[in-house]
Amino acid sequence: MNPYLLIVLLTSLGLGTALTLSSTHWLLAWLGLEVGTLAILPLMAQRHHPRATEAATKYFIVQATAAATLLFAAFNNAWLQGHSDIQHMSHPLFTSMITLALLLKLGLAPMHTWMPQVIQGVSLNTGLIVSTWQKIAPFILLLQIKQIHPPLLTIIGLASILIGGWGGLNQTQLRKILAYSSIAHLGWILLILQHSTALATYALLIYIFMTSATFITLKKCKATTINMLTTTWTKAPTITLVAPLMLLSLGGLPPLSGFAPKWFILQELTQLNFIPHASIAAMAALLSLSYYLRLSYSITLSLSPNNLPECLQWRVNYPISTPLSSALPAALALTLFLLPLTPSALTLII
Amino acid sequence: MLKILIPTLLLIPTSWLAKAKWLWPTTLLHSFIITLFSLAWLKNTTETNWSTLNPYMATDPLSSPLLTLTCCLLPLMILASQNHLAQDPLVRQRIYITLLVTLQLSLIMAFAATELTMFYVMFETSLIPTLILITRWGNQMERLNAGTYFLFYTLASSLPLLITLLAFQNKTGTLSLLIIQLLGPIPISPYVNIIWWTTSLLAFLVKMPLYGVHLWLPKAHVEAPIAGSMILAAVLLKLGGYGMMRLMLILSPLAKELCYPFIILALWGVLMTSSICLGQTDLKSLIAYSSVSHMGLVAAAILIQTPWGLTGALILMIAHGLTSSALFCLANTNYERTHTRTMILTRGSQMILPLMATWWLITCLANLALPPLPNLMGELIIISALLGWSWWTIIFTGAGALITATYSLYMYLMTQRGPVPNHMISMNPSHSREHLLLTLHLLPLLLLVFKPTTIWGSAY
Repeated sequence: MNPYLLIVLLTSLGLGTALTLSSTHWLLAWLGLEVGTLAILPLMAQRHHPRATEAATKYFIVQATAAATLLFAAFNNAWLQGHSDIQHMSHPLFTSMITLALLLKLGLAPMHTWMPQVIQGVSLNTGLIVSTWQKIAPFILLLQIKQIHPPLLTIIGLASILIGGWGGLNQTQLRKILAYSSIAHLGWILLILQHSTALATYALLIYIFMTSATFITLKKCKATTINMLTTTWTKAPTITLVAPLMLLSLGGLPPLSGFAPKWFILQELTQLNFIPHASIAAMAALLSLSYYLRLSYSITLSLSPNNLPECLQWRVNYPISTPLSSALPAALALTLFLLPLTPSALTLII
Repeated sequence: MLKILIPTLLLIPTSWLAKAKWLWPTTLLHSFIITLFSLAWLKNTTETNWSTLNPYMATDPLSSPLLTLTCCLLPLMILASQNHLAQDPLVRQRIYITLLVTLQLSLIMAFAATELTMFYVMFETSLIPTLILITRWGNQMERLNAGTYFLFYTLASSLPLLITLLAFQNKTGTLSLLIIQLLGPIPISPYVNIIWWTTSLLAFLVKMPLYGVHLWLPKAHVEAPIAGSMILAAVLLKLGGYGMMRLMLILSPLAKELCYPFIILALWGVLMTSSICLGQTDLKSLIAYSSVSHMGLVAAAILIQTPWGLTGALILMIAHGLTSSALFCLANTNYERTHTRTMILTRGSQMILPLMATWWLITCLANLALPPLPNLMGELIIISALLGWSWWTIIFTGAGALITATYSLYMYLMTQRGPVPNHMISMNPSHSREHLLLTLHLLPLLLLVFKPTTIWGSAY
């Protein structure tokens, strides 16, 4: 893509999120969300492939619907309440409507069906942006709304964790697997959103590190299906070494950083006596772990062409050096080694 | 504690920086030195039972034999793996040793933890290196399935444990083992305490394994490479027993009637798995089911919560650790020469490798709990404790002891006696390394005959 255009689009993307983050009025928040949506659309459609076009269209329609609902509910609330402050919303119906709109933007169950299709249709870099950067603005808005009906968030959170787990089980396309992983992780964040904003932020941060590391790794290996992961051991042995650890970190196994958000979310939930919720969430995390384990089997734990129950890829791609690969060591270090630093990390966020 | 942890941690740079020729001797030597230092833990000097105390870790007579066993096992694993890794590229050998050391670190920290949270995190941490050992260095295609079973059985039972520990911390404010042994009964409603009890112990019962949830063990033990089998049989199963013994302290008022079904299941498991052993064709599978059988006895003994039960459980855990690990090493010596685990294809080894037959004999006799070995001590104390709990258990334990003797002798006779098969044209003679390996397993076992109080635990 033309570098000038790329800079304009990426800057607009940053601008959109920054607008939303710094706003106290719903109109400006909506504006920031729309700028972000519009900025990413050319990035999504830049490959002139029908699937990319379809993904961009679906993304636009979904985000526009959500933003329109958001604006509608915000104005109704302003009409009834007299002011349009994000932090002082009080009408229950419109608060729920805004919450649902934001959850549609985030791609949480049961409004998640667009996520796998969109992330599958775009390239890995754009998928990274959709999975990580585009979650920040709606998340910040959700944090600021104070009076959300608690069962709404709990049910949607648990449903997302379950659907994120079950949906990814039958996938062979890596981007779809990462989309379902994103749904599951955001479900965890949603469970704790009302009770502890610091933990929700921490969980989102760790999720962003882990997902970035995974997307960058996949981009380096130029792998988009599970079959394509099987030959990484010949091309990039170092990646082969750390990839299972990265995937198990996504799955939430100690001593990797991915365990920290799950642990603290479970702790917070048990302290508030939401033990059934905590149990269901914990057990549903095992579903996601099964497909992360399958991926790590393909990458590292079985050397193709030996002992592999799947087919092998025919043409071999060599690992490429992308602009993002300089971020890979940082992302990987944060994905793997952050658990012992958790107390200091939490004090930084609270 | 740091004088063991830091040298163990630094074994990782050692394995990466040592020259190719010196990799195995260096790591072996240093792990032996670490073992030597860890023997100091066996002396219990304080009245309160907790020694080598620092804010996060301590040893007491319950954990120190298990700690020493863990530290003892690292050099033995390195010794055992040397042969089959000789064909791997150098980097993979280094990675293997790094995995073993990481596993060692997590196990030391698990057994020495004073906070139950740290115990839990280290319990789960030990899963990752074991998973990688089984699925990456196992020899057959079934190893992937074995790794999945291993990981998911353990995790599905230990996630409820995490929630229970967090709820416990919420109720009592602390999870430190030093403090909870002094707490009184916890106020919980009568229906919740059933769930509480079950979720606390389920993780450890699956790890032990209890008979109904034991399916991961034959898969994992059989498919793992020798170091994986050794550490699984010797130490990882004992994590379950150790965890149960620790958590029983907090759960005691709740557990009076709840443990009955599990005790019955454990005892029935002893009989069932011993019977399965009689019909096995795969040697490693036989040893794996034998492990389940012995651990069933340990589980039953821990669940009855008497002082003799806990003592017998600990003695049997240590003795079984050494014996089972020795059996896996012997099976591995067979496997390395014939590349098969089927017993009828590897008969008559006494003719070919007579000194190895001696080790086979001693180890099989230890497995069937021959006096005066600590295996018998443990089993006898457990059987007496169970008899004191209920007269009917003697049926299970007596029949179990009988069938154990039967399959141990069957294992010995199948592999050592009988005609040498016609297809075995040449077998390498026994290496001194293998003799050393087995001596180092059996010598502690024999020495423990003279001073069993070291592995007696804190009940006496």
